[in-house]
Amino acid sequence: MDDDVLTTLKILIIGESGVGKSSLLLRFTDDTFDPDQAATIGVDFKVKTIAIDGNRAKLAIWDTAGQERFRTLTPSYYRGAQGVILVYDVTKRDTFSKLDNWLNELETYCTRNDLVKMLVGNKIDKDSREVDRNEGLKFARKHSMLFIEASAKTRDGVQCAFEELVEKILQTPGLWESSIQGQGVRLSEEPEAARGACGGVETVMLP
Amino acid sequence: MAADSDPESEVFEITDFTTASEWERFVSRVEEVLNDWKLVGQDSKNPLQKGEFNSGVWEEKSQEISFADFRFSVTHIYLKQEAAPSDGKDAEEDAVPVAMQDLLCMKNDFPPRAHCLVRWYGVREFVVISPGVNCEAIISESKCNLLLSSVSISLANIGCQVPVFVQIQQKWRRMYAGECQGPGVRTDFQIVHLRRVPSQYNHLSGLLDIFKSKIGCGLTPLPPVSIAIRFTYVLQDWQQCSWPQQPPDFDALLSGEVGGVEFGKLPFGACEDPVSELHLSATWPHLTEGIVVDNDVYSDLDPLQAPQWSVRVRKAENPQCLLGEFLSEFFKLCLHKESTEDLLGKSSLEDEAKDNSDISHALSKLTEPTAVPLPKLSVSNMVHSARKRIRRHRRADESPLSSDLLNSILLYLFPDAAEDKQSEGTPNKGVYPNLEGQLTLKKELDDANLFSQLKSAPLDSLTYRLALCICLVNFYHGGARGVAHLWQEFVLEMRYRWENNFLIHGLDGGPPDLRCCLLHQKLQMLNCCIERKRARDDGRKGTGVEKKGGCENGRLAPQSASLTSASPGKSWESWSDSEEEFFECLSDTDELKEVQPTEQERSASGRTKPEGRLQPHDKLTLLNSDEPLYIPITQEPGPMTEDALEEQSEVLAKLGTSAEGAHLRARMQSACLLSDMESFKAANPGCLLEDFVRWYSPRDYVEEEVTDENGQTVVRGDLSTRMKIPGNMWVEAWETAKATPARRQRRLFDDTKEAEKVLHYLAVQKPSDLTRHLLSCVIHAAILKEKEEEVAEDIPSVRRSIQQLVSLAGKLLHHPSPDYKKLEDLISQVAGVEAVIAHARSLKAKFGLGKNDTGEEVEGLRRFVISLLDEPEVSVIDAGRSYVGSIIHKLFVSAQRLADSSDEGILGEMEAALLAPMEDEVGRTDDRKATAGGAVGADFPPPAGREILLRTCVPRPAPYSKPLPQRLFCVLMKEDFRLAGAFSSDTSFF
Repeated sequence: MDDDVLTTLKILIIGESGVGKSSLLLRFTDDTFDPDQAATIGVDFKVKTIAIDGNRAKLAIWDTAGQERFRTLTPSYYRGAQGVILVYDVTKRDTFSKLDNWLNELETYCTRNDLVKMLVGNKIDKDSREVDRNEGLKFARKHSMLFIEASAKTRDGVQCAFEELVEKILQTPGLWESSIQGQGVRLSEEPEAARGACGGVETVMLP
Repeated sequence: MAADSDPESEVFEITDFTTASEWERFVSRVEEVLNDWKLVGQDSKNPLQKGEFNSGVWEEKSQEISFADFRFSVTHIYLKQEAAPSDGKDAEEDAVPVAMQDLLCMKNDFPPRAHCLVRWYGVREFVVISPGVNCEAIISESKCNLLLSSVSISLANIGCQVPVFVQIQQKWRRMYAGECQGPGVRTDFQIVHLRRVPSQYNHLSGLLDIFKSKIGCGLTPLPPVSIAIRFTYVLQDWQQCSWPQQPPDFDALLSGEVGGVEFGKLPFGACEDPVSELHLSATWPHLTEGIVVDNDVYSDLDPLQAPQWSVRVRKAENPQCLLGEFLSEFFKLCLHKESTEDLLGKSSLEDEAKDNSDISHALSKLTEPTAVPLPKLSVSNMVHSARKRIRRHRRADESPLSSDLLNSILLYLFPDAAEDKQSEGTPNKGVYPNLEGQLTLKKELDDANLFSQLKSAPLDSLTYRLALCICLVNFYHGGARGVAHLWQEFVLEMRYRWENNFLIHGLDGGPPDLRCCLLHQKLQMLNCCIERKRARDDGRKGTGVEKKGGCENGRLAPQSASLTSASPGKSWESWSDSEEEFFECLSDTDELKEVQPTEQERSASGRTKPEGRLQPHDKLTLLNSDEPLYIPITQEPGPMTEDALEEQSEVLAKLGTSAEGAHLRARMQSACLLSDMESFKAANPGCLLEDFVRWYSPRDYVEEEVTDENGQTVVRGDLSTRMKIPGNMWVEAWETAKATPARRQRRLFDDTKEAEKVLHYLAVQKPSDLTRHLLSCVIHAAILKEKEEEVAEDIPSVRRSIQQLVSLAGKLLHHPSPDYKKLEDLISQVAGVEAVIAHARSLKAKFGLGKNDTGEEVEGLRRFVISLLDEPEVSVIDAGRSYVGSIIHKLFVSAQRLADSSDEGILGEMEAALLAPMEDEVGRTDDRKATAGGAVGADFPPPAGREILLRTCVPRPAPYSKPLPQRLFCVLMKEDFRLAGAFSSDTSFF
């Protein structure tokens, strides 16, 4: 399937709870905004194919829950990611000051050290800004990340953020070539689903 | 094309090719090829730099053409150079071709590594036409002439100025005839090749005579002939420094106690001397006729006085290097298709069945208090008894590994058994002599993230040691069968530890480290299972068994000490009735005790008894009471290995991106949330969702300062909008959650199931699978070994190669299914690095370089030796007068003394025999030749090869012709005499 797709990339979205990770993703994939976006449980997943410089790349984007308690669960999905979007809320300083923790987390659980990191300051449509753009810039520079401010609500910067990230990944030699054969999530129809999940996350349904 | 170039041809004239002969067609094919390669016309080139033939890049392309049905291959060989600036091109319109200028260039005489034609004629670009593969040589004179005239016509037709050579006679003779054409000038290249050196030409003066007579120039006095001479001396007698390395003694391994040390090591180095010869070339680069005398009675050419010395070493072909062999043998295992049963035979299956029954027997013995006194029970006892049991079962003749060997391997893998032995007072001190020291050195070299770069396992972890053992067993003890046997024992030991609650040593605690290889993760997983099972069993029994480890708590709780040897409190008792399927969190007994008074108060007050409290929250109290908010003891989600994780994410991804899919996905993952809610409810009777959210997701509880109707500001809190969406999963889960403490909940992680999965996985691995699993560890160990050896030798190029190795290996080994060919290549690169280190060792020994020598001179010598490894030829600064020179001199002197004492005739024959096979080697033979008599310095053997290069620029053929470059390159060896001449003549004025 997807013969015309150059490669499949795995992208992660991480950050404190309530900073708007799922909203950013929804804006990017469906170009909608839902003020009543439910809090993510564990990890969620979306796919979108985009064209960068004539190359079509399929993005498998993993959206994670920001609650601390879920952090025993979500880092398992960091494996094999080629890009990560680290989100904070410009109207909540504490979401910005915890960025260091998230970078440590990445360091610990990410299997490749050359992955491309992007910092996104979300919710710039709000008036009650607590984190200045320059602070975000400074942090991004210190940790060699891409940086952009965005608003999932007004769609400012959202498309651009994802495109920029993908372009950077495609420019990084050795980061994505092998993704064709494995590493990334295979979406082909394999009978593996029958085996079911095991280990940490039980596939139990709520009664 | 020949016809086209006729300027007289008229427009209406029909050009008829229908009757073109084979010969004409051949000529036009040659032209076509030369045209294709754009070798037409004058091409200005940058002047050659000194040594450019060696430092530059040579390129080569070829094409096949045929003459009738005879195939030729045409090859264009050239030095890659940047295009010259095109200014002043007009002025050079009728300059002589580049190749003719090159004949006289003195900057690249005797290049260390070059095509023989480059060495003989100094050309930087040429074309060779040689008979195709499997075609017979061009021997008859008429055929040679035919070919040569074809070339001549082609060159003239298209105005090509690149010299073209035709290979004639048998290939091994390396005979070429060629031609180069320029405007009004032509150079003929001719070669004479004889088996013996004619005595009248066995010296410089004889050769000068030939040169002059060949030029046949009538000018008097003749312009002086410039002379360059190189004599090459071969040293092959290294008796004064015999090769020290012996193959390791593996019988010693079997003899018991020292075994443990040896298993951790990889063998290293060459078994035979990897350096076979040293060639010293003494060069007189710039002599003029009359300055030196070299004739049949006397010679001025004393190598000690030569202004230039250069040295090259000849490396033994495929020296037997231990590490490389070790690796490639291990790698070959992955070609085996047999399963363990195939390899070990059916009986092993029965054995296993018996073993299993024995385990249960052993277990029942364990629980019998009279049979095994509990305080004396230790891991090692169990290991030992397990092993004894295993040994009993296999008859010696059917086991690939002897029980002694197996015993020492298992002791190495599971040193917890040996510790016990020591404590029992067995004189066993020598188990790890200086292993500590080695380990610290290794650790220094082990870049902290080398294992994650290579996706192997941490240094000296169980997996790492297992890889080394499998490697060793494969090499020395029965190949695949031995490996299968060891693996079977290993799996048995794993099962034994699981069933008897003994942790597997040599693995980092915690969940599987996804940076390591899968096998390592599986073992870590098994350890997690054992740990949880132990915690459960210990808790249930609640009696004197020592408790180790404990179950990790949520990150929200402060990390409690993981090693609590506390005597179990009474609270355990109340848990003893729980069923096995419940999760039981047993650590943090102390904190639990603190909590107890409150519990009692509570039950006294008649409300629901809170259960499973970990600790009160720092600040928060419940919203509808003044009770502090208690953080509950929670279940940890289970650890996962990468394959399970892959499966899991596939399942999650397969749910698709629709709203339903997302909903289903959230539900699948809500087990953990639900469990936490239940624990929270149990710990905080009467709590609200708001309370839970304040602990679990604080930002979803929004507090606002509002002014109430009395005009006072109060803080009012509420759930965030998203938590208030009707029917959202958090609310739904909260409503479903019953107040159940973690220990009575259904287990989120079924350690029994997971352990069985791991054990099954291990049991079905074939030896070839093991190779795949453990290759990264073996490569890791090999790279460390090479780093360790390099430290001793200090070779910059090896350090670079190791760096490259690491990054290449990292790329390959991270791939889920690496390419077989690429891995093979990686292993040969590892072996290549080993060979370089072995060469360095050998050379250092020969040049008497000790590790602790210092001083400027020694440093110079060290640099010289190191560059011998990297470069084809190294020049000796200040030649024979330098420190390095004096050492080389001494080496020759002592070899000469030895030779003098033996019969010279025999020596000569021996040398000839030794040197015979080298002649096949193209392009390098010139300077290592059999003795040819002639000038003999007392300290040196007769030169094995003498090269004499004569150059001049004279008018030819007539005195009034244009002065043109003339060159004769002479090679004199014992059984090879060659004159390669290039004689130019003026084709306009003769």
